[in-house]
Order: sequence, then structure tokens, then C-alpha cells
Amino acid sequence: MKILKADAGMLTDFEVLDMLRSRGAKSDPMGCLGAVTSSECKVYDYLIKGAACNQTRESIEDFKKRCAEFKKVNEKHKFTRAEILNIINLRPSGHAQLYSIIPDLEKRFNISNGDGSEDGCLLVLEEFLNIIHEALPPPPEKIEDEEEEAADEEEADDAQAMVEN
Amino acid sequence: MFHLSKIKHTLHLQPHLLSLPLFDAIKGELEMQFLDKVITNLGLCISVYDIFSIDGGFIFPGDGCSTYEVIVRLVMFRPYVGEILRGKIEESNEDGLRLSLGFFNDTYVAVSQLQRPCRRGDDGIWLWNYESEDLPLDLNEEVNFEVIDVKYPPIPVKQDPNSKPFAPMEVVVSTTKQSCP
Repeated sequence: MKILKADAGMLTDFEVLDMLRSRGAKSDPMGCLGAVTSSECKVYDYLIKGAACNQTRESIEDFKKRCAEFKKVNEKHKFTRAEILNIINLRPSGHAQLYSIIPDLEKRFNISNGDGSEDGCLLVLEEFLNIIHEALPPPPEKIEDEEEEAADEEEADDAQAMVEN
Repeated sequence: MFHLSKIKHTLHLQPHLLSLPLFDAIKGELEMQFLDKVITNLGLCISVYDIFSIDGGFIFPGDGCSTYEVIVRLVMFRPYVGEILRGKIEESNEDGLRLSLGFFNDTYVAVSQLQRPCRRGDDGIWLWNYESEDLPLDLNEEVNFEVIDVKYPPIPVKQDPNSKPFAPMEVVVSTTKQSCP
């Protein structure tokens, strides 16, 4: 065996998931006997639980395009390709998660506590979070949670109405 | 987390594979040889991505099989330093934590890389003291972690009977940045 090119391109979680899915991988290890091996099934199982589960090729392309636009507008605040890959794979939902994914976010965006002049940078960050929210689909758990919460609230309302009656 | 790697490989196709189309036979043979195995400095092979070229097909004198030279691209699991991954806590001992990604289990967190201040509870579970509250790092709990090193230890010549099984690839990670269960 001879290694011709160790790094012939990086893949996002979605691309690997899409490839395994197209070969007939399923979460059930018995269901994909013959189509893919059990080790591939494990990878599929891991990826389907992540942010890649409901991404599409279009949503990622869209996100990349908007990232490039963002880069043009805000030349001071650039993200590297690896960081963008991380964002696609993890889909941070808020500031806290973004802080942990991007190294030295405070320094790069000049965010410090109690300084009024930094509002502009926070706005830029807010704009970037908006891009993430709009371009990448939200994780399905959240939708379920929200539905559950809504259902709980409804139930609570019903209970209250009963009491009032 | 995943990379493509292009490799050139010489393989022998046994006569019992003659009934299969050449492409399928080669793919099957490659999967058998590489899938779920670690290649030093390339990482863990996840899948055969595509086959670029198939060359040869010679039967050498005294050999009972045909020999092909193929160029393929493999999907490798090789996290880069600084990448954030998600995994479950599999084991907790005095050295730290062992995490599992489901398909890869040799991910280690040293004690020095845990969130500070931390201590070990009586049941062996690490506790993170956050704002005077103990947050346990329970087994099977999902955590995010940052990769700080990927090691490919050499195959040991002599092995203690009590040592843990040899792992050809180890990922060293840190949870100091983020540890949201």
C-alpha cells in the first residue's frame, strides 16, 4: 500500500451520512445486512444523532455562500475553513456554544463586559448567528421539545380552565 | 472529522471471486482489508469512497490468483487538532475519562484536561465544581470535547497480561473549553 495523498479533501458529517444513506445504511444493524458493514452502520448511527441528520446539500451550499458574503462585508471578522466546517457539523444554537467552537471569540470580536463601544461587534456576531439559524435546519429534538412544551402548556391551560370552571 | 485519502494498493483476487464482476470483487476485497482498521498517520478507515483506476490483472508464475493495482479514495476518520466532537462517557477512573463516539472508543481525557475545579466522587465519577455546585460527569452522558492530539502508538513488542488491549490510534481530548452534558 502506498499513500498517494493523505488529505484529498475534508468531508462534512452530512456528506458521510449522505454517502452511507445512499448505500442503504439504516440505524438497525440487522436491516442493512449485505448493504453496508456493521462498522459503517455504527458511523451512520453516530451521525444520525448529530446536526447532520436533517441537513441537505442545498442548505450547506446556502450556508457557505452566506458565509462568503459575510466575509466580504466584515473583513475584520473572518472565520477559517476549519471553523466553518465545525459550525456546519455542530450547528451552534446560541452564543455560548459558538464561544466554545471558535477559539478566542472575545478577542476577535472585541467583546468585553461593560464597554458600550463594543455593541457594533456584538451586532456582527448576532448577524452571524442569524445566518446559522436561517441557513442550517434546527436539530429535530428541539422541535419535539418545543411541541412537548406547547402541549404541556396547553394541558396546564386546560387544567386551569377546569379549576376555574 | 472525516477526510478523504487517496491510496495505491496492490491486491490479489482469489479465484473464487471470478464469478463476480471485477469492480464488485475489488470493492469487496478492499472493504475486507481496510474497513474498520487503522492506517498509521491516516486514521480509521470508515468506507471505500470510490475507485479511480484498476490496473493489471496479471497472474504471476506459481501464483493462483490475479494481481491488480488499484487507486482508491477512502473515507478516513481523522480528527484535526482543535476540532470539537461529541461523544459519550464510557469509563471513569483515576487517570481521567474514556469517551466513545460509537464507532471509535479510544478517546481519552486526562485529569489535567477536565474542567477545574474538579474532584472524584466516592463512586469513581468525576465531579465538576461549578459555582459551588457539584456537576457529575456521569457514565453514558453526552459531552462535547476538543481534540488536542491524535496518537498512533507503535505495536508493543512485549505486553503485560494485565494491560488494556492495544489501541492503534488514540485521540487525546480536552473538556476544559466546554462540557455541556
